Amino acid sequence: MNSKSKVPCIPIEGSISYEDWLKGRRHRREIGNLVAPEIIRRKTSSSDRRLKKLFNGERGLPFTPTEKL
Amino acid sequence: MDADKIKSALADITAEQDPTIKSLKMASLCSALWTERGVELVVVGGSAIEILTEGAYASGDLDMCHATKASLPIRERQEVMGLLGAKGGPRNWQVAGMYVDVLGFAESFARTPYRRVQAPYGEVLVMKPEDLLVERVLVSVYPGENQTARDCAKKFIAVIICGDIAVNWDEVRRLAKLPEYRNLPECEKLVKEVADELKVKSPLHPD
Repeated sequence: MNSKSKVPCIPIEGSISYEDWLKGRRHRREIGNLVAPEIIRRKTSSSDRRLKKLFNGERGLPFTPTEKL
Repeated sequence: MDADKIKSALADITAEQDPTIKSLKMASLCSALWTERGVELVVVGGSAIEILTEGAYASGDLDMCHATKASLPIRERQEVMGLLGAKGGPRNWQVAGMYVDVLGFAESFARTPYRRVQAPYGEVLVMKPEDLLVERVLVSVYPGENQTARDCAKKFIAVIICGDIAVNWDEVRRLAKLPEYRNLPECEKLVKEVADELKVKSPLHPD
């Protein structure tokens, strides 16, 4: 646990457990949303053809809304 | 990993609708199978940033590299991915409703370790955030301004500053001075911008 944050920190040494990684997801998303738009997935890339074919015209699965993380 | 466990993992990953969890689980399964054959994989690029930040940035493909000099021969790669019912290859495959790319040797200059997440099918190595941060700042500026890379770098910096990812700032500074990047002023500027927005002191301040 980091002193600045109430959620488990992804450490330099050792590992973070899956449960702790899950626990921190919402906080990480919320922090990012303070400084940039919520969804920043690129609109295009060289992989567009294969991605859009697999994901019904999108470039990936929709992101889980912040409130559901 | 026996066939039943692989089958059960594949069913779980195929059904998973959260793109970041799906990606982490797939990285976990692939890493376990490749490790059994003596090769460590590491998640890189946007996929790594997504696992570290939840930045809603990555697309539907998972990028991995070899963490060690060792690699698997093409034939063996195809056999391993065949165990997962993958299509394509020998460097990218469609599997369980997503794409997996296994590229070459991971490009890393940081002296810090790969980060480690204990995922459902085994440990996942994730590219060092020190490398990812300096690289993303570089891409946000060169060859021309790139707003998506800038937003991504800002989110990354914010999550680090708030203490959710531990980084070695001395190492960030060292990397940004390397001939490979030469972007310390750009890194300092963007870290300060984010720190100012969050009303905290920049950890990369020149003094």
